[in-house]
Parts: sequence; structure tokens; C-alpha cells
Amino acid sequence: MTIELIPAEQFTLQELTDLYNQTRVDYLVPMPMNASRLGEYVHDFDIDLSQSCVARVADGQMLGLCMLGVRPKHAWITRLGVLPATRRSGVGSALMDCMMENAGKLGAKATQLEVIKNNLPAYNLFSCKDFIETAEYLVMRRAPHPSSEPPRGNVHWLDSDRALEAIQSYPNHLTWINAPDSMRNARDVEGLHITLQDGSSGWLAYRNTKFTLRSTLSHLIIHTEQGNPAQVGKQLLLNLHTHYAHHDTYAENIHKDDPHLPAFYAMGYFENFSRIEMICAK
Amino acid sequence: MAKILYIEDIKDNITLVQKIVTSRGHEFMSAENAETGLEMAFNLHPDLILLDLGLPDADGQTLSVWMRNDPVLEAVPIIVLTAWPEEVVRHTVEAYNLDGYLCKPFTLAELVQTIDKALSKRPS
Repeated sequence: MTIELIPAEQFTLQELTDLYNQTRVDYLVPMPMNASRLGEYVHDFDIDLSQSCVARVADGQMLGLCMLGVRPKHAWITRLGVLPATRRSGVGSALMDCMMENAGKLGAKATQLEVIKNNLPAYNLFSCKDFIETAEYLVMRRAPHPSSEPPRGNVHWLDSDRALEAIQSYPNHLTWINAPDSMRNARDVEGLHITLQDGSSGWLAYRNTKFTLRSTLSHLIIHTEQGNPAQVGKQLLLNLHTHYAHHDTYAENIHKDDPHLPAFYAMGYFENFSRIEMICAK
Repeated sequence: MAKILYIEDIKDNITLVQKIVTSRGHEFMSAENAETGLEMAFNLHPDLILLDLGLPDADGQTLSVWMRNDPVLEAVPIIVLTAWPEEVVRHTVEAYNLDGYLCKPFTLAELVQTIDKALSKRPS
């Protein structure tokens, strides 16, 4: 089978969405999209469709796709998917090679990606392409429910600019989707800063995404400036969920050793799945 | 006879469930995304909602919150049909105050039993 790699910009968002959804139909965590959401994804995460690829055979039948996020000196491989019937025939490998070549041409010093934990075929493919596991992250959910105690602390709500300033100061590594550039692109970032009675302090930034009818909270970034992260984190989350009492919350890519995890669990978060971040430095 | 709304983005799954639901004499409706599902639930007042978790606009968990927050829909039983690992689904159903789940692949008998059980709890 001869595989052609065509720049994704030659396809409409609807065509890319349809192909992407077909490649994920049998995934453990399928995460389907519509064209509108894919458009937001492309915008928020700096996906360059001219450097992203669709794989197809000569008769035009599409086989799979892969997207490349591009930022200065960094690239991000995402949305890799191959139609179930055409897996194990080199399509994924060809798409990865194309992404790595494009990333290199654009001057990326490092290319990163995330793979769902226990997706061994994908993990093995990335390992073969010299990607090395660097960290494990949790994807967590919280259904809205009444808090068992009143929130404490002196809280200042942060508008988008202040929240982005806080994110910019975050001292630890953030994955691509929570990185300052992604949060800035998203335009729906908010936050809060808290000071507790004992002088402990910290902040929480998040996206408050509006749907047509409702909104939801996601992409949480939490940081303790001073004090015990479990305590500061709990009060940050308690204030957030008291303020947004009816919002569903989706916390993506919380490091598995994040010291705020006890606060998340105390506030009713539970794990949905884990992601492994892998990086290839070339 | 009951009105059953299935919110699911994969057409083959909709067709399969539709056959089972209508063969039991129920009225069947479907929506392929969360926004349409919410709108249909508001307007058509189903007796039972079958919900996929992976939807293309907002996922099933978020949709269930929107429905549970609404006085018209808060009491409508919601059954999750999903391929997610059972432990995660069980936790999700508990946390989101849903009424049950079936993990794919499921048998026709399991689906019928689950629907009958959910509908039997309706106020008479």
C-alpha cells in the first residue's frame, strides 16, 4: 500500500473532524469532536494545519491523520489516529515521521506528545520514534455537589489578565494544553487568589468555557505560594466550587505527584484516566 | 409504553438500540450531540434517557449536570451506555447522581433488563 501524506489544510474542518472521529471510534476514551470544537482546538493549541497531515491511498481513501502544534522551538504532536481497518500497516509510523520532519524544519528543539496510559500500541510507536516518557498526569472530574463546609480565606477573583499573569509565573512544567500560550489563546481564563488566616497563600487559574446554553470549568492550574498545598488547595477549590456551585469540572493533566492532589480528592474529584507525556529532543 | 431518548453520536449504536427499544413497544428518539439532546429532553419530556459519555460537543457527564440542574429534567432517570472501564463508569454514575450504567459491549437481554428496571421506578 502506497501512503500519500497530504497537508491537512487541504481539507475542511468537517472532513478532518469526520476522519478523526472515525479513527477514534473504538478507543477506550474516544473523545469525539465536532467541527466547531476542532476549530477551537486548532486555535487554542496553535495547531498548524499546513504542517499537519492526512494519510490516504492513491484512490483517495483516507487512512488517518495527525496534527502538529507549533510554538517557538517547541512542537506538539496530537490527534494521531488511524482508521481501525488500516492499522498495523505503517500509517501511524508514516504520519509520525512526517510530523517529526515538519517539526525539525520549523526549528523545534523538542517535540512533545501525550498518550493515554495503557495504550501500548501508541506508546510503543512513540518509543520507536525516540520519544521518552517524562511524566504522568491525571485527568480528573468533579460533579457539582454542595460543599460540606463554608469556604475560608481572603479571596480576590482574577480577571483574564491577572489569571494569565499568575499562569506565566507558574514555576513547574505545564503540558501543552495548560501552557500559558494555550490559556492565553482560549480567552476564557479566570482565577482566584487566596490568603488564609495563617498567612498561607496561593492561586488557582481555570477556563470557564461557555457552551450555547451552559458553561463548564476546565484546565485547572493550582499553585501554593506559601503554606501547605493540601490546605491552600482545598480552600481554593472550596471557594471555586461554592462560587460555581452548579458547574461540572474537568481537571486535565494534573501531575500524578502534585502536592495539591489531597485537596482535589477532598473536594470530590476522581480520576478518569491518566496520560503519559513523552518528549523527543532533537 | 414509555418515551426513551438515546443521546449517542455513533449511528450504528443508535440503530441497534432503536430496534430493541421499539420492539418492546416504546417510543424512541435520538440525538447525536449534547446540545440537541438537551433541547430534545426539554421539549419532549422523555421517561428515560440513555446517555453515551463520549459526545462531540460536550461530554455525557457535563450534559448530565445540565439536565440534573433543571427542574423539568432532574428526576428523569439517566442510564449511561459506554465503553469506558467499569470502575470509572461506576464512580461517574455515583458522583453525577445517575441511575445506572451498561458497559459496551452489552447483550440485548442486559439492555432490556436495564431499561425495564429503570422504567419500573417511575411514579405510577
